[in-house]
Amino acid sequence: MADAIRIENLRKTFRLGFIPRPREILKGITLSVREGETFGYLGPNGAGKTTTIKCLLGFVHPDAGTIEILGRPHTSPRSRERLGFLPENPYFYDYLTAREFLAFTADLFGLGQEEKTERIGRLLKLVGLERAADLALRKYSRGMLQRAGLAQALINDPQLVVLDEPLGGMDPLGRKEIRDIIVRFKDEGKTVFLTSHILQDIEMICDRVAIIVGGRIVKEGGLRDLVSEKVLFTEVTVSGLPPQAFAGLGESVSIQGDRVLLKVYDESLVEAVVALVHDRKGRLISLSPRTETLEDIFVDTVTCQ
Amino acid sequence: MKTPAANKGSVTVLLVLALAGALAGLVTFKGLTDRVVRKKVPGSSIIYIPSGKFLKFAAFGFRPLAADLIYLWAVQYFSTPTIDDRFQHLDHIFAIINELDPRYQDPYEVGALIAVQEKRDVQAAFAILDRGAANNPDQWIYPFEAGHVALMTLKDYPLAEKYFTQCMKIPGAPDFVERLRANAIFKKGDLRTSWETWLDIFKQAPDERTKKIASNHLYNVKAAIDRAALGDAAAKYRERFGRFPANLEELVRTGFLREVPKDLDGKDYLYDPGTGLAKTAISPWKR
Amino acid sequence: MRIGAIAGITFKEAKRDRILYLLFFFAALGIGASRVLAILTVGDRIKIIKDVGLASIAIFGVLMAILIGTNLVYKEIDKKTIYTLLAKPLHRAEFILGKFCGLVLTLFVMTAAMTVIFLDIVFAHTGAIEAGLLVAVAYIFLELVLITAVAILFSSFSTPILSSLFALAFYLIGHLSWGLELIIRKMAPGPGRTLVQVLYRVLPDLENFNFRTEVVHGLPIPPGIYLTSLAYGVCYTAFILVLAVLIFRRRDFI
Repeated sequence: MADAIRIENLRKTFRLGFIPRPREILKGITLSVREGETFGYLGPNGAGKTTTIKCLLGFVHPDAGTIEILGRPHTSPRSRERLGFLPENPYFYDYLTAREFLAFTADLFGLGQEEKTERIGRLLKLVGLERAADLALRKYSRGMLQRAGLAQALINDPQLVVLDEPLGGMDPLGRKEIRDIIVRFKDEGKTVFLTSHILQDIEMICDRVAIIVGGRIVKEGGLRDLVSEKVLFTEVTVSGLPPQAFAGLGESVSIQGDRVLLKVYDESLVEAVVALVHDRKGRLISLSPRTETLEDIFVDTVTCQ
Repeated sequence: MKTPAANKGSVTVLLVLALAGALAGLVTFKGLTDRVVRKKVPGSSIIYIPSGKFLKFAAFGFRPLAADLIYLWAVQYFSTPTIDDRFQHLDHIFAIINELDPRYQDPYEVGALIAVQEKRDVQAAFAILDRGAANNPDQWIYPFEAGHVALMTLKDYPLAEKYFTQCMKIPGAPDFVERLRANAIFKKGDLRTSWETWLDIFKQAPDERTKKIASNHLYNVKAAIDRAALGDAAAKYRERFGRFPANLEELVRTGFLREVPKDLDGKDYLYDPGTGLAKTAISPWKR
Repeated sequence: MRIGAIAGITFKEAKRDRILYLLFFFAALGIGASRVLAILTVGDRIKIIKDVGLASIAIFGVLMAILIGTNLVYKEIDKKTIYTLLAKPLHRAEFILGKFCGLVLTLFVMTAAMTVIFLDIVFAHTGAIEAGLLVAVAYIFLELVLITAVAILFSSFSTPILSSLFALAFYLIGHLSWGLELIIRKMAPGPGRTLVQVLYRVLPDLENFNFRTEVVHGLPIPPGIYLTSLAYGVCYTAFILVLAVLIFRRRDFI
């Protein structure tokens, strides 16, 4: 399976300010994204995520290293023919309507008239902007702009979709819709490269992730490999019994009325807790084992650097 | 397949070559354009008038427009009778206008008009009109008007002759200028040249009317010549004999005249023994 | 064609700019004022009308080119709309050329509109439309095209205010080229003189596009100059655009 994106030893230093003071942002990034996979690119703010994307798309010229997109050098405009990009805070020509903007984008790809109309109609339906299609973009809410951005990213039926924080600023319903669309990409065989701060969503949709901290990739691998199924602790919610009853078995985390939330670290002690509740005629409200999540890995990795 | 860096480099080289090519092109065409002679009239003389120089620099590509605006202002300015010393800078102001647009005709003419009629400064008028002639050597109007001023206002006939001669040389000058010149020569007192000039005009007259005019003038010149000769002879007779002759034949008899002159039509002059002067039987203009 | 698509939206965007209509209003006012001014003059009225009319078209055309052109590329970079464009299979040169063509189209429309008003007034006074006036306007337009290229060049790396100043400086230098010629004649031969000569050849000479004096006075225009002036304008515009592309290609959009 070929690589959709291959980045090797990417370096970039910015010289900003009136008296230029160099700041090395990317210190040698190497990663590859295989075709058809959904890749999550994570990192704290200022780590270099957006800079990597800017280098990838040719907004910024790398100081060193090579980048290949779908087998072509990233400097060639042809490498972007089958690429779609949704920027973090979408900015478009706000006097155009969504329909006009999509028509313009289609013109940039040289689509024929019929194909243009068909695709625009289909994409507007997909992102849920059918009714607002003829409103000027300046009247759109943040969520609507994000949807319009997604539509323009898909106008050329891309093989590789690059999404910078696609789920930011959306309401829960919107997030679900966008997530579903991204999952559909996988079914269609598209490659997805996305960044996000919302790790729960990454966990849900990505196959592989990389974590960038301070301009370097510090962790990379398949999601299932990085995140073990190990149970960290079990949360037990009980009512009708005082917290002291569980001393030695678990840690009481919060008390609300007569409900007690316990954290039981030892798996074997969970059964003891359940038995105790049963004996003392208390009520077991809920019991949920908490496995290691991506967030745990992330916090761990970042704080270690 | 070139490496991406080499690809980018070769495009940059191409662009730099294109840049150099465009530069060479523009330099070449500028040179070619410079060589084409445009009717840029000699006006870039050294101006000692600071405001004129400043205006020329401040006007960029809009010198004729600046000339228009200043001229408009000047017209209003000189029509304001309450400004007592408005003629003090007449030449200065019109010099600026002429400098900005040397081919703008009205300011020369109107400036000279104001100089003659209102400022009563004939030399200022000449200065303006001379500038007009110098800047527009193909326009007959300027020496014409100067000649007109010399003839009518200043009554400086040699000067008038000079201007009319200058005017005649310019292609397109009307034919009456020739006649004005001849008249100026007559008024100057050079009767011989005047006769010859009028004779030329008579011979080259394109139509009957001009011929008639020339003929009248010839009559007039001949009459002047003859009257001068007669008056001269009569005066000499008086010196000898203490009185004016009774008639012209007496002058011939006594040898002061070779023969009794007749006017151009062959008629006699009328002689007055009391004054010793002769005059024509009819007016030259009513023949 | 991609350049065409960008030119299209540039035109759409430019014609929404209120500055355009404000300047057009003043231009129309200026041309109309020529009628009033003509009444005040003693002598040839039509000359004033032609002078003021052509000057209005030239001045306001240049202002339009500078004020809109310097905003054009800067706004895209500032508002980050350029990101979605650059992520498309687009050469950076196509972006610059598209912006240029869009703005030239806008100026063409505005110049044509001003010219119609101008010719109307001339026709009302003389009952005739001289070909010479159209020639003068055509070369004014050529000058505007060059100024547009300059405005876009500066807009690709500088803020609108600085770009406007630079473009204006270009315009002023372009009309003072004859001053350099005078200086050269008065200088003694040497390195200083050579430098000034080089400057004279390279710096713009916008008087090459100025046929207003000839047209207003009815003087003959030597035919050779049409071609050489046109070629000069085309070469200089190409030079500026290639320079703009070179600079724009190197830019990082942070």
